[in-house]
Amino acid sequence: MNLKPYIAYARKSFLMRSAYRFDHIMQILSTCLQIFIYWEIYRSLYGSSIEVDGISFGMVTTNFVLSLGFSAGFYVNDFYLPQKIWDGSLVTELLRPISFRGRMLAENIGNGVFSMLFRFLPAFVIGVVLVGICPPESAAALGLFLVSAALGYGVLWTISFAVQMTAFWLVNIWSIVTIKNVCINILSGSMIPIWFMPEWLRNLIDFTPFSSIYFTPVQIYLGQLSGREIAGKCLLQVVWIVCMYGIGSVLWKRGQRKLVIHGG
Amino acid sequence: MDGLITVEHLHKSYRISKRGKGIPGMLANLVAPKYEKKDAVKDISFQIAEGEMVGFIGPNGAGKSTTIKMLSGILYPDSGQILVDGKVPYRQRKQYVGNIGVVFGQKSQLQWDLPVIDSFELLKAIYRIPDQTYKRNLARFTEMLDMQEFLKQPVRQLSLGQRMRADIVAALLHDPKIVFFDEPTIGVDVVGKETIRTFIRELNAQDQITMLFTTHDMQDIEKTCKRLLIIDQGNKVYDGALSGIREMYGTTRTLDLELQTEVQVAPIPHVTISRPDDSNPRKWQLQFDHHAVSVQELMGFLLATYPVRDLNISEPEIESIIRNIYGGRQSE
Repeated sequence: MNLKPYIAYARKSFLMRSAYRFDHIMQILSTCLQIFIYWEIYRSLYGSSIEVDGISFGMVTTNFVLSLGFSAGFYVNDFYLPQKIWDGSLVTELLRPISFRGRMLAENIGNGVFSMLFRFLPAFVIGVVLVGICPPESAAALGLFLVSAALGYGVLWTISFAVQMTAFWLVNIWSIVTIKNVCINILSGSMIPIWFMPEWLRNLIDFTPFSSIYFTPVQIYLGQLSGREIAGKCLLQVVWIVCMYGIGSVLWKRGQRKLVIHGG
Repeated sequence: MDGLITVEHLHKSYRISKRGKGIPGMLANLVAPKYEKKDAVKDISFQIAEGEMVGFIGPNGAGKSTTIKMLSGILYPDSGQILVDGKVPYRQRKQYVGNIGVVFGQKSQLQWDLPVIDSFELLKAIYRIPDQTYKRNLARFTEMLDMQEFLKQPVRQLSLGQRMRADIVAALLHDPKIVFFDEPTIGVDVVGKETIRTFIRELNAQDQITMLFTTHDMQDIEKTCKRLLIIDQGNKVYDGALSGIREMYGTTRTLDLELQTEVQVAPIPHVTISRPDDSNPRKWQLQFDHHAVSVQELMGFLLATYPVRDLNISEPEIESIIRNIYGGRQSE
Protein backbone atom coordinates (compact mmCIF):
# COMPACT_ATOMS: atom_id res chain seq x y z
CA MET A 1 0.00 0.00 0.00
CA ASN A 2 1.24 3.41 -0.90
CA LEU A 3 1.26 5.62 2.15
CA LYS A 4 1.93 8.87 0.36
CA PRO A 5 -1.68 10.07 0.10
CA TYR A 6 -2.30 9.31 3.76
CA ILE A 7 0.79 11.16 4.83
CA ALA A 8 -0.40 14.08 2.74
CA TYR A 9 -3.73 14.03 4.59
CA ALA A 10 -2.02 13.84 7.96
CA ARG A 11 0.18 16.77 7.01
CA LYS A 12 -2.75 18.80 5.76
CA SER A 13 -4.77 18.37 8.94
CA PHE A 14 -1.69 19.25 10.98
CA LEU A 15 -1.36 22.49 9.03
CA MET A 16 -5.04 23.28 9.22
CA ARG A 17 -5.06 23.02 12.99
CA SER A 18 -2.63 25.88 13.32
CA ALA A 19 -5.17 28.20 11.68
CA TYR A 20 -7.12 29.01 14.82
CA ARG A 21 -4.61 30.23 17.37
CA PHE A 22 -6.88 31.85 19.93
CA ASP A 23 -9.01 28.75 20.34
CA HIS A 24 -5.83 26.81 20.76
CA ILE A 25 -4.47 28.90 23.61
CA MET A 26 -7.83 28.74 25.36
CA GLN A 27 -7.79 24.95 25.16
CA ILE A 28 -4.41 24.82 26.90
CA LEU A 29 -5.72 27.18 29.57
CA SER A 30 -8.84 25.11 30.06
CA THR A 31 -6.78 21.94 30.59
CA CYS A 32 -4.53 23.67 33.12
CA LEU A 33 -7.54 25.05 34.92
CA GLN A 34 -9.10 21.59 35.08
CA ILE A 35 -5.92 20.08 36.50
CA PHE A 36 -5.70 22.86 39.06
CA ILE A 37 -9.33 22.53 40.18
CA TYR A 38 -9.09 18.75 40.59
CA TRP A 39 -5.86 19.20 42.46
CA GLU A 40 -7.46 21.67 44.86
CA ILE A 41 -10.48 19.43 45.45
CA TYR A 42 -8.35 16.40 46.26
CA ARG A 43 -5.96 18.45 48.35
CA SER A 44 -8.78 19.49 50.64
CA LEU A 45 -10.19 15.94 50.63
CA TYR A 46 -6.84 14.53 51.67
CA GLY A 47 -6.42 17.20 54.33
CA SER A 48 -3.57 16.15 56.56
CA SER A 49 -3.64 12.44 55.72
CA ILE A 50 -0.77 11.09 53.67
CA GLU A 51 -2.56 8.15 52.18
CA VAL A 52 -6.15 7.17 51.49
CA ASP A 53 -6.75 3.49 50.70
CA GLY A 54 -3.03 3.12 50.14
CA ILE A 55 -3.04 5.82 47.48
CA SER A 56 -0.88 8.85 48.14
CA PHE A 57 -1.86 12.36 47.16
CA GLY A 58 1.11 12.47 44.79
CA MET A 59 -0.26 9.47 42.89
CA VAL A 60 -3.66 11.12 42.53
CA THR A 61 -2.04 14.28 41.23
CA THR A 62 0.04 12.27 38.78
CA ASN A 63 -3.13 10.57 37.57
CA PHE A 64 -4.77 13.91 36.87
CA VAL A 65 -1.88 15.55 35.17
CA LEU A 66 -1.29 12.56 32.93
CA SER A 67 -4.85 11.62 32.07
CA LEU A 68 -6.14 15.18 31.70
CA GLY A 69 -3.03 16.07 29.74
CA PHE A 70 -3.62 13.11 27.47
CA SER A 71 -7.28 13.85 27.03
CA ALA A 72 -6.19 17.25 25.72
CA GLY A 73 -3.58 15.64 23.50
CA PHE A 74 -5.52 12.59 22.30
CA TYR A 75 -7.39 14.21 19.47
CA VAL A 76 -10.66 12.59 18.44
CA ASN A 77 -13.26 14.22 16.27
CA ASP A 78 -16.48 12.34 16.96
CA PHE A 79 -18.28 14.19 14.21
CA TYR A 80 -15.81 13.62 11.41
CA LEU A 81 -17.97 11.13 9.53
CA PRO A 82 -21.41 12.30 10.78
CA GLN A 83 -20.62 15.80 9.56
CA LYS A 84 -19.66 14.46 6.16
CA ILE A 85 -22.82 12.39 5.92
CA TRP A 86 -24.95 15.25 7.13
CA ASP A 87 -23.63 17.88 4.72
CA GLY A 88 -23.13 15.44 1.87
CA SER A 89 -19.40 15.98 1.52
CA LEU A 90 -18.83 12.26 1.97
CA VAL A 91 -19.57 12.18 -1.76
CA THR A 92 -16.36 13.99 -2.48
CA GLU A 93 -14.39 11.77 -0.16
CA LEU A 94 -15.65 8.63 -1.82
CA LEU A 95 -14.47 9.97 -5.17
CA ARG A 96 -10.87 9.65 -4.10
CA PRO A 97 -9.01 6.46 -4.95
CA ILE A 98 -8.03 5.80 -1.34
CA SER A 99 -9.45 4.07 1.69
CA PHE A 100 -11.74 6.38 3.59
CA ARG A 101 -11.02 4.65 6.88
CA GLY A 102 -7.31 5.03 6.28
CA ARG A 103 -7.85 8.65 5.57
CA MET A 104 -9.88 9.13 8.72
CA LEU A 105 -7.04 7.68 10.75
CA ALA A 106 -4.42 9.70 8.87
CA GLU A 107 -6.20 12.98 9.52
CA ASN A 108 -6.58 12.01 13.12
CA ILE A 109 -2.90 11.27 13.46
CA GLY A 110 -2.05 14.63 11.90
CA ASN A 111 -4.35 16.33 14.38
CA GLY A 112 -3.09 14.11 17.18
CA VAL A 113 0.55 14.98 16.61
CA PHE A 114 -0.40 18.62 16.64
CA SER A 115 -2.35 18.21 19.85
CA MET A 116 0.41 16.27 21.57
CA LEU A 117 3.00 18.88 20.66
CA PHE A 118 1.04 22.02 21.25
CA ARG A 119 -1.62 21.04 23.73
CA PHE A 120 -0.41 18.09 25.75
CA LEU A 121 3.16 19.32 26.17
CA PRO A 122 2.38 22.87 27.33
CA ALA A 123 -0.44 21.67 29.59
CA PHE A 124 1.81 18.93 30.96
CA VAL A 125 4.69 21.28 31.67
CA ILE A 126 2.42 23.85 33.30
CA GLY A 127 0.75 21.07 35.29
CA VAL A 128 4.09 19.74 36.52
CA VAL A 129 5.24 23.21 37.53
CA LEU A 130 1.91 24.08 39.14
CA VAL A 131 1.09 20.96 41.11
CA GLY A 132 4.06 18.64 40.66
CA ILE A 133 3.92 14.95 39.78
CA CYS A 134 5.63 11.73 40.87
CA PRO A 135 8.63 10.67 38.80
CA PRO A 136 8.17 7.46 36.80
CA GLU A 137 8.91 4.26 38.71
CA SER A 138 11.84 3.40 36.41
CA ALA A 139 13.17 4.03 32.93
CA ALA A 140 11.56 0.79 31.78
CA ALA A 141 8.25 1.89 33.29
CA LEU A 142 8.51 5.14 31.35
CA GLY A 143 9.10 3.29 28.08
CA LEU A 144 6.25 0.85 28.64
CA PHE A 145 4.08 3.75 29.73
CA LEU A 146 4.64 5.46 26.37
CA VAL A 147 3.77 2.27 24.48
CA SER A 148 0.66 1.77 26.55
CA ALA A 149 -0.33 5.43 26.11
CA ALA A 150 -0.14 5.02 22.34
CA LEU A 151 -2.35 1.93 22.62
CA GLY A 152 -4.68 3.91 24.87
CA TYR A 153 -5.07 6.44 22.11
CA GLY A 154 -5.86 3.56 19.76
CA VAL A 155 -8.66 2.41 22.06
CA LEU A 156 -10.06 5.92 22.36
CA TRP A 157 -10.01 6.41 18.61
CA THR A 158 -11.52 3.06 17.67
CA ILE A 159 -14.40 3.57 20.13
CA SER A 160 -15.14 6.86 18.43
CA PHE A 161 -14.72 5.21 15.02
CA ALA A 162 -17.36 2.57 15.83
CA VAL A 163 -19.75 5.12 17.31
CA GLN A 164 -19.42 7.43 14.31
CA MET A 165 -20.50 4.68 11.93
CA THR A 166 -23.98 4.66 13.44
CA ALA A 167 -24.49 8.00 11.72
CA PHE A 168 -25.35 6.13 8.50
CA TRP A 169 -28.60 5.10 10.16
CA LEU A 170 -29.19 7.77 12.75
CA VAL A 171 -27.71 10.84 11.03
CA ASN A 172 -27.77 12.84 14.26
CA ILE A 173 -25.59 11.01 16.77
CA TRP A 174 -25.04 13.84 19.20
CA SER A 175 -26.74 11.97 22.06
CA ILE A 176 -24.80 8.75 21.54
CA VAL A 177 -21.55 10.66 21.39
CA THR A 178 -22.45 12.46 24.60
CA ILE A 179 -23.21 9.19 26.38
CA LYS A 180 -19.96 7.76 25.11
CA ASN A 181 -18.00 10.75 26.35
CA VAL A 182 -19.66 10.70 29.76
CA CYS A 183 -18.71 7.03 30.05
CA ILE A 184 -15.14 7.85 29.11
CA ASN A 185 -14.93 10.76 31.55
CA ILE A 186 -16.28 8.82 34.48
CA LEU A 187 -15.12 5.27 33.84
CA SER A 188 -11.66 5.97 32.47
CA GLY A 189 -10.45 7.35 35.76
CA SER A 190 -9.60 10.80 34.46
CA MET A 191 -12.21 12.43 36.71
CA ILE A 192 -12.33 10.08 39.69
CA PRO A 193 -9.32 7.78 39.92
CA ILE A 194 -10.45 4.17 39.53
CA TRP A 195 -8.71 3.33 42.83
CA PHE A 196 -11.44 5.13 44.74
CA MET A 197 -14.36 3.47 43.04
CA PRO A 198 -16.42 0.84 44.87
CA GLU A 199 -15.35 -2.70 44.18
CA TRP A 200 -18.43 -3.69 42.17
CA LEU A 201 -17.88 -0.74 39.84
CA ARG A 202 -14.20 -1.55 39.48
CA ASN A 203 -15.12 -5.08 38.47
CA LEU A 204 -17.61 -3.74 35.97
CA ILE A 205 -15.07 -1.34 34.49
CA ASP A 206 -12.74 -4.26 33.91
CA PHE A 207 -15.17 -5.50 31.28
CA THR A 208 -15.27 -2.19 29.42
CA PRO A 209 -12.62 -0.62 27.19
CA PHE A 210 -12.62 2.63 29.19
CA SER A 211 -9.95 1.86 31.76
CA SER A 212 -7.60 0.88 28.91
CA ILE A 213 -7.45 4.45 27.70
CA TYR A 214 -5.75 6.46 30.44
CA PHE A 215 -5.69 4.35 33.55
CA THR A 216 -3.54 1.48 32.26
CA PRO A 217 -0.69 3.81 31.19
CA VAL A 218 -0.93 5.73 34.47
CA GLN A 219 -0.69 2.51 36.48
CA ILE A 220 2.35 1.44 34.49
CA TYR A 221 3.95 4.84 35.02
CA LEU A 222 3.47 4.61 38.76
CA GLY A 223 4.87 1.08 38.84
CA GLN A 224 1.65 -0.40 40.23
CA LEU A 225 1.63 -3.37 37.91
CA SER A 226 3.90 -6.42 37.76
CA GLY A 227 5.53 -7.46 34.51
CA ARG A 228 2.86 -10.06 33.87
CA GLU A 229 0.07 -7.64 34.63
CA ILE A 230 1.57 -5.10 32.24
CA ALA A 231 1.67 -7.67 29.45
CA GLY A 232 -1.92 -8.67 30.19
CA LYS A 233 -3.24 -5.09 30.26
CA CYS A 234 -1.43 -4.11 27.07
CA LEU A 235 -2.78 -7.19 25.36
CA LEU A 236 -6.24 -6.18 26.53
CA GLN A 237 -5.71 -2.78 24.96
CA VAL A 238 -4.86 -4.44 21.65
CA VAL A 239 -7.92 -6.68 21.92
CA TRP A 240 -10.16 -3.64 22.42
CA ILE A 241 -8.61 -1.87 19.44
CA VAL A 242 -9.21 -4.90 17.21
CA CYS A 243 -12.78 -5.36 18.49
CA MET A 244 -13.81 -1.74 18.09
CA TYR A 245 -12.21 -1.41 14.69
CA GLY A 246 -13.90 -4.63 13.59
CA ILE A 247 -17.32 -3.43 14.69
CA GLY A 248 -16.74 -0.08 13.03
CA SER A 249 -15.64 -1.68 9.77
CA VAL A 250 -18.68 -3.95 9.54
CA LEU A 251 -20.91 -0.94 10.10
CA TRP A 252 -18.96 1.02 7.49
CA LYS A 253 -19.48 -1.66 4.84
CA ARG A 254 -23.19 -1.89 5.57
CA GLY A 255 -23.60 1.82 5.97
CA GLN A 256 -22.30 2.57 2.52
CA ARG A 257 -25.17 0.63 0.99
CA LYS A 258 -27.57 2.64 3.09
CA LEU A 259 -26.04 5.92 2.06
CA VAL A 260 -28.49 8.35 0.57
CA ILE A 261 -27.46 11.79 -0.49
CA HIS A 262 -30.27 14.15 -1.24
CA GLY A 263 -30.26 17.24 -3.36
CA GLY A 264 -27.60 18.68 -5.57
CA MET B 1 -21.66 -4.60 -24.95
CA ASP B 2 -19.88 -1.79 -26.66
CA GLY B 3 -19.56 1.74 -25.45
CA LEU B 4 -17.33 2.99 -22.69
CA ILE B 5 -20.25 3.49 -20.35
CA THR B 6 -23.09 1.02 -20.31
CA VAL B 7 -26.08 1.43 -18.06
CA GLU B 8 -28.87 -1.13 -18.04
CA HIS B 9 -32.20 -0.97 -16.24
CA LEU B 10 -30.79 1.12 -13.45
CA HIS B 11 -33.03 1.48 -10.43
CA LYS B 12 -32.61 3.24 -7.11
CA SER B 13 -35.16 4.13 -4.51
CA TYR B 14 -35.03 5.45 -0.99
CA ARG B 15 -37.30 5.91 1.95
CA ILE B 16 -38.54 9.29 2.89
CA SER B 17 -40.11 9.83 6.24
CA LYS B 18 -43.72 10.91 6.13
CA ARG B 19 -44.56 13.01 9.09
CA GLY B 20 -47.82 14.64 10.07
CA LYS B 21 -48.13 18.30 10.87
CA GLY B 22 -47.04 19.88 14.14
CA ILE B 23 -46.86 18.22 17.54
CA PRO B 24 -49.49 15.47 16.97
CA GLY B 25 -47.60 14.52 13.83
CA MET B 26 -44.35 14.45 15.71
CA LEU B 27 -45.79 12.21 18.44
CA ALA B 28 -47.32 9.85 15.91
CA ASN B 29 -43.96 9.71 14.17
CA LEU B 30 -42.19 8.82 17.39
CA VAL B 31 -44.50 5.87 18.08
CA ALA B 32 -44.92 4.56 14.56
CA PRO B 33 -42.75 6.21 11.95
CA LYS B 34 -44.19 6.09 8.47
CA TYR B 35 -42.04 5.91 5.41
CA GLU B 36 -42.78 6.29 1.78
CA LYS B 37 -40.70 4.68 -0.91
CA LYS B 38 -39.59 7.05 -3.58
CA ASP B 39 -38.06 5.95 -6.83
CA ALA B 40 -35.27 8.35 -7.64
CA VAL B 41 -34.29 6.39 -10.71
CA LYS B 42 -36.87 3.98 -12.10
CA ASP B 43 -35.49 2.33 -15.17
CA ILE B 44 -32.72 3.97 -17.11
CA SER B 45 -30.56 2.42 -19.80
CA PHE B 46 -28.08 4.09 -22.10
CA GLN B 47 -24.67 3.74 -23.64
CA ILE B 48 -21.97 6.29 -24.16
CA ALA B 49 -19.10 5.72 -26.55
CA GLU B 50 -15.52 6.79 -25.95
CA GLY B 51 -14.91 10.48 -26.62
CA GLU B 52 -18.58 11.37 -26.65
CA MET B 53 -19.94 14.44 -24.95
CA VAL B 54 -23.47 13.96 -23.73
CA GLY B 55 -25.80 16.50 -22.18
CA PHE B 56 -27.84 15.02 -19.38
CA ILE B 57 -30.87 17.05 -18.46
CA GLY B 58 -34.12 16.83 -16.61
CA PRO B 59 -36.13 18.90 -14.14
CA ASN B 60 -35.18 19.09 -10.47
CA GLY B 61 -35.65 15.74 -8.78
CA ALA B 62 -35.62 13.82 -12.05
CA GLY B 63 -32.81 11.57 -10.86
CA LYS B 64 -29.84 13.12 -12.66
CA SER B 65 -27.62 13.54 -9.64
CA THR B 66 -28.52 10.13 -8.29
CA THR B 67 -27.57 8.60 -11.63
CA ILE B 68 -24.27 10.49 -11.68
CA LYS B 69 -23.53 9.38 -8.13
CA MET B 70 -24.17 5.77 -9.08
CA LEU B 71 -21.96 6.18 -12.14
CA SER B 72 -19.23 7.60 -9.90
CA GLY B 73 -19.36 4.63 -7.55
CA ILE B 74 -20.68 6.56 -4.55
CA LEU B 75 -24.16 5.10 -4.36
CA TYR B 76 -25.22 1.49 -4.75
CA PRO B 77 -28.06 0.91 -7.20
CA ASP B 78 -30.98 -1.26 -6.02
CA SER B 79 -30.96 -3.16 -9.28
CA GLY B 80 -29.63 -2.89 -12.80
CA GLN B 81 -26.11 -2.85 -14.13
CA ILE B 82 -23.47 -0.24 -14.63
CA LEU B 83 -20.26 -0.98 -16.43
CA VAL B 84 -17.80 1.82 -17.03
CA ASP B 85 -14.54 1.08 -18.77
CA GLY B 86 -14.90 -2.57 -17.83
CA LYS B 87 -15.48 -1.87 -14.14
CA VAL B 88 -18.48 -1.89 -11.86
CA PRO B 89 -18.16 1.50 -10.15
CA TYR B 90 -19.72 0.80 -6.78
CA ARG B 91 -18.00 -2.56 -6.33
CA GLN B 92 -14.50 -1.52 -7.35
CA ARG B 93 -14.67 1.99 -6.05
CA LYS B 94 -11.04 2.49 -5.10
CA GLN B 95 -9.60 1.24 -8.39
CA TYR B 96 -12.35 2.84 -10.41
CA VAL B 97 -12.38 6.42 -9.19
CA GLY B 98 -8.76 6.94 -10.17
CA ASN B 99 -9.84 6.94 -13.81
CA ILE B 100 -12.70 9.38 -13.56
CA GLY B 101 -13.15 12.99 -12.63
CA VAL B 102 -16.31 14.41 -11.16
CA VAL B 103 -17.31 18.03 -10.74
CA PHE B 104 -20.23 18.82 -8.46
CA GLY B 105 -21.17 22.43 -9.05
CA GLN B 106 -22.94 22.60 -5.72
CA LYS B 107 -20.24 20.96 -3.64
CA SER B 108 -16.69 22.11 -3.66
CA GLN B 109 -14.05 19.43 -3.47
CA LEU B 110 -11.35 21.85 -2.42
CA GLN B 111 -10.03 22.41 1.07
CA TRP B 112 -11.91 25.40 2.37
CA ASP B 113 -9.15 26.92 4.50
CA LEU B 114 -6.18 26.27 2.24
CA PRO B 115 -4.97 28.07 -0.88
CA VAL B 116 -6.13 26.53 -4.15
CA ILE B 117 -2.65 25.35 -5.01
CA ASP B 118 -2.40 23.40 -1.73
CA SER B 119 -5.57 21.52 -2.59
CA PHE B 120 -4.07 20.67 -5.95
CA GLU B 121 -0.87 19.44 -4.30
CA LEU B 122 -2.96 17.24 -2.04
CA LEU B 123 -4.74 15.78 -5.06
CA LYS B 124 -1.38 15.15 -6.65
CA ALA B 125 -0.47 12.99 -3.66
CA ILE B 126 -3.82 11.23 -3.49
CA TYR B 127 -3.93 10.31 -7.16
CA ARG B 128 -0.18 9.71 -7.29
CA ILE B 129 0.14 12.00 -10.27
CA PRO B 130 3.68 11.95 -11.69
CA ASP B 131 5.52 15.27 -11.36
CA GLN B 132 5.69 15.89 -15.08
CA THR B 133 2.01 15.21 -15.71
CA TYR B 134 1.04 17.38 -12.78
CA LYS B 135 3.13 20.33 -13.91
CA ARG B 136 1.99 20.03 -17.50
CA ASN B 137 -1.71 19.80 -16.60
CA LEU B 138 -1.54 22.55 -14.05
CA ALA B 139 0.17 24.93 -16.45
CA ARG B 140 -2.19 24.07 -19.26
CA PHE B 141 -5.43 24.32 -17.29
CA THR B 142 -4.55 27.47 -15.37
CA GLU B 143 -3.69 29.05 -18.69
CA MET B 144 -6.92 27.93 -20.36
CA LEU B 145 -9.09 29.00 -17.46
CA ASP B 146 -7.12 32.11 -16.61
CA MET B 147 -6.49 31.17 -13.00
CA GLN B 148 -3.01 32.52 -12.35
CA GLU B 149 -4.15 35.37 -10.15
CA PHE B 150 -6.00 33.37 -7.51
CA LEU B 151 -4.01 30.15 -7.24
CA LYS B 152 -2.51 31.23 -3.94
CA GLN B 153 -5.73 32.49 -2.35
CA PRO B 154 -7.63 30.44 0.22
CA VAL B 155 -10.69 28.83 -1.32
CA ARG B 156 -13.10 30.56 1.06
CA GLN B 157 -12.04 33.93 -0.37
CA LEU B 158 -12.76 33.05 -3.99
CA SER B 159 -15.77 34.20 -5.97
CA LEU B 160 -18.16 31.50 -7.09
CA GLY B 161 -16.89 31.63 -10.66
CA GLN B 162 -13.28 31.30 -9.54
CA ARG B 163 -14.11 28.46 -7.18
CA MET B 164 -15.92 26.62 -9.94
CA ARG B 165 -12.94 26.90 -12.28
CA ALA B 166 -10.65 25.66 -9.54
CA ASP B 167 -13.00 22.76 -8.90
CA ILE B 168 -13.02 21.84 -12.57
CA VAL B 169 -9.23 21.80 -12.69
CA ALA B 170 -9.16 19.73 -9.49
CA ALA B 171 -11.22 17.06 -11.21
CA LEU B 172 -8.94 16.93 -14.25
CA LEU B 173 -5.41 17.00 -12.86
CA HIS B 174 -5.05 13.22 -12.86
CA ASP B 175 -5.87 12.82 -16.56
CA PRO B 176 -9.21 11.09 -16.13
CA LYS B 177 -10.61 9.19 -19.08
CA ILE B 178 -14.16 10.05 -18.16
CA VAL B 179 -15.51 13.19 -16.54
CA PHE B 180 -18.93 13.74 -15.05
CA PHE B 181 -20.02 17.34 -14.71
CA ASP B 182 -22.94 17.90 -12.39
CA GLU B 183 -24.11 21.47 -12.98
CA PRO B 184 -20.69 23.01 -13.52
CA THR B 185 -22.08 26.42 -14.42
CA ILE B 186 -24.62 26.84 -11.64
CA GLY B 187 -24.60 30.36 -10.28
CA VAL B 188 -21.79 31.51 -12.54
CA ASP B 189 -22.11 34.75 -14.51
CA VAL B 190 -22.39 34.93 -18.28
CA VAL B 191 -18.70 35.47 -18.96
CA GLY B 192 -17.69 32.77 -16.52
CA LYS B 193 -20.13 30.33 -18.09
CA GLU B 194 -18.71 31.00 -21.51
CA THR B 195 -15.15 30.38 -20.26
CA ILE B 196 -16.19 27.08 -18.73
CA ARG B 197 -18.07 25.96 -21.84
CA THR B 198 -15.18 26.79 -24.13
CA PHE B 199 -12.82 24.95 -21.84
CA ILE B 200 -14.98 21.83 -21.71
CA ARG B 201 -15.47 21.84 -25.46
CA GLU B 202 -11.77 22.18 -26.17
CA LEU B 203 -10.89 19.48 -23.73
CA ASN B 204 -13.33 17.09 -25.29
CA ALA B 205 -12.05 17.86 -28.78
CA GLN B 206 -8.33 17.76 -27.95
CA ASP B 207 -8.12 14.96 -25.40
CA GLN B 208 -11.05 12.79 -26.41
CA ILE B 209 -12.27 12.75 -22.83
CA THR B 210 -15.70 11.21 -22.50
CA MET B 211 -18.09 13.54 -20.75
CA LEU B 212 -21.51 13.53 -19.24
CA PHE B 213 -22.82 16.97 -18.50
CA THR B 214 -25.73 17.86 -16.25
CA THR B 215 -27.19 21.33 -16.32
CA HIS B 216 -30.31 23.42 -16.20
CA ASP B 217 -28.92 25.96 -18.60
CA MET B 218 -29.87 24.97 -22.13
CA GLN B 219 -27.18 27.22 -23.56
CA ASP B 220 -24.61 24.99 -21.89
CA ILE B 221 -26.00 22.07 -23.82
CA GLU B 222 -26.40 23.90 -27.13
CA LYS B 223 -22.85 25.15 -27.00
CA THR B 224 -21.15 21.97 -25.89
CA CYS B 225 -23.04 18.76 -26.57
CA LYS B 226 -24.12 16.98 -29.70
CA ARG B 227 -26.09 14.34 -27.94
CA LEU B 228 -28.81 14.83 -25.41
CA LEU B 229 -30.21 12.55 -22.76
CA ILE B 230 -33.37 13.72 -21.05
CA ILE B 231 -34.76 12.04 -17.99
CA ASP B 232 -37.86 12.85 -16.04
CA GLN B 233 -39.25 11.21 -12.90
CA GLY B 234 -36.59 8.56 -13.05
CA ASN B 235 -37.29 7.53 -16.64
CA LYS B 236 -35.52 8.28 -19.86
CA VAL B 237 -37.68 10.41 -22.14
CA TYR B 238 -35.26 11.31 -24.91
CA ASP B 239 -31.93 10.02 -26.10
CA GLY B 240 -30.52 11.30 -29.34
CA ALA B 241 -28.96 14.13 -31.24
CA LEU B 242 -29.54 17.66 -30.08
CA SER B 243 -30.78 18.58 -33.54
CA GLY B 244 -33.16 15.62 -33.48
CA ILE B 245 -35.08 17.07 -30.61
CA ARG B 246 -36.16 19.97 -32.78
CA GLU B 247 -37.38 17.54 -35.41
CA MET B 248 -39.27 15.55 -32.87
CA TYR B 249 -40.76 18.12 -30.55
CA GLY B 250 -40.02 21.50 -32.02
CA THR B 251 -41.94 21.52 -35.24
CA THR B 252 -43.79 24.71 -34.40
CA ARG B 253 -42.66 27.83 -36.22
CA THR B 254 -43.55 31.34 -35.29
CA LEU B 255 -43.94 33.99 -37.95
CA ASP B 256 -43.95 37.60 -36.83
CA LEU B 257 -45.52 39.90 -39.30
CA GLU B 258 -45.66 43.66 -39.47
CA LEU B 259 -47.87 45.31 -42.05
CA GLN B 260 -47.68 48.80 -43.52
CA THR B 261 -51.33 49.55 -42.90
CA GLU B 262 -54.00 48.37 -40.49
CA VAL B 263 -55.40 45.41 -42.38
CA GLN B 264 -57.16 42.42 -40.86
CA VAL B 265 -55.35 39.14 -41.56
CA ALA B 266 -57.95 36.58 -42.65
CA PRO B 267 -57.91 33.04 -41.20
CA ILE B 268 -55.56 30.55 -42.90
CA PRO B 269 -56.02 26.75 -42.49
CA HIS B 270 -53.70 25.07 -39.84
CA VAL B 271 -52.33 28.43 -38.78
CA THR B 272 -53.06 30.13 -35.45
CA ILE B 273 -53.24 33.86 -35.83
CA SER B 274 -52.93 36.26 -32.93
CA ARG B 275 -52.03 39.84 -32.13
CA PRO B 276 -48.99 39.92 -29.85
CA ASP B 277 -49.12 43.63 -29.20
CA ASP B 278 -52.45 45.31 -28.53
CA SER B 279 -51.04 48.80 -28.90
CA ASN B 280 -49.79 48.15 -32.39
CA PRO B 281 -52.62 46.91 -34.64
CA ARG B 282 -50.21 46.40 -37.54
CA LYS B 283 -48.40 43.53 -35.81
CA TRP B 284 -49.52 39.92 -36.16
CA GLN B 285 -48.18 36.59 -35.02
CA LEU B 286 -48.77 33.36 -36.93
CA GLN B 287 -47.97 29.93 -35.48
CA PHE B 288 -47.97 26.71 -37.43
CA ASP B 289 -46.49 23.25 -37.66
CA HIS B 290 -43.94 23.30 -40.45
CA HIS B 291 -44.81 19.73 -41.41
CA ALA B 292 -48.45 20.71 -42.00
CA VAL B 293 -47.91 24.07 -43.63
CA SER B 294 -45.29 24.85 -46.23
CA VAL B 295 -43.23 27.85 -45.18
CA GLN B 296 -42.59 28.76 -48.78
CA GLU B 297 -46.26 28.77 -49.75
CA LEU B 298 -47.32 30.64 -46.65
CA MET B 299 -44.75 33.37 -47.22
CA GLY B 300 -45.63 33.66 -50.87
CA PHE B 301 -49.29 33.98 -49.96
CA LEU B 302 -48.66 36.62 -47.31
CA LEU B 303 -46.39 38.71 -49.50
CA ALA B 304 -48.85 38.60 -52.38
CA THR B 305 -51.94 39.34 -50.29
CA TYR B 306 -50.85 41.90 -47.69
CA PRO B 307 -48.69 45.03 -47.64
CA VAL B 308 -45.85 43.46 -45.67
CA ARG B 309 -43.31 45.75 -44.03
CA ASP B 310 -41.34 43.20 -42.00
CA LEU B 311 -41.43 39.45 -41.60
CA ASN B 312 -39.53 37.09 -39.36
CA ILE B 313 -39.70 33.33 -38.86
CA SER B 314 -38.28 31.76 -35.75
CA GLU B 315 -37.66 28.21 -34.58
CA PRO B 316 -38.53 27.47 -31.00
CA GLU B 317 -35.69 27.77 -28.50
CA ILE B 318 -34.44 24.45 -27.20
CA GLU B 319 -35.36 25.74 -23.81
CA SER B 320 -39.03 26.07 -24.64
CA ILE B 321 -39.04 22.65 -26.27
CA ILE B 322 -37.64 21.15 -23.12
CA ARG B 323 -40.19 23.06 -21.10
CA ASN B 324 -42.89 21.48 -23.22
CA ILE B 325 -41.46 18.02 -22.67
CA TYR B 326 -41.39 18.50 -18.91
CA GLY B 327 -44.75 20.22 -18.96
CA GLY B 328 -46.37 17.55 -21.11
CA ARG B 329 -45.81 15.08 -18.32
CA GLN B 330 -47.59 17.23 -15.79
CA SER B 331 -50.76 17.53 -17.84
CA GLU B 332 -50.96 13.79 -18.42
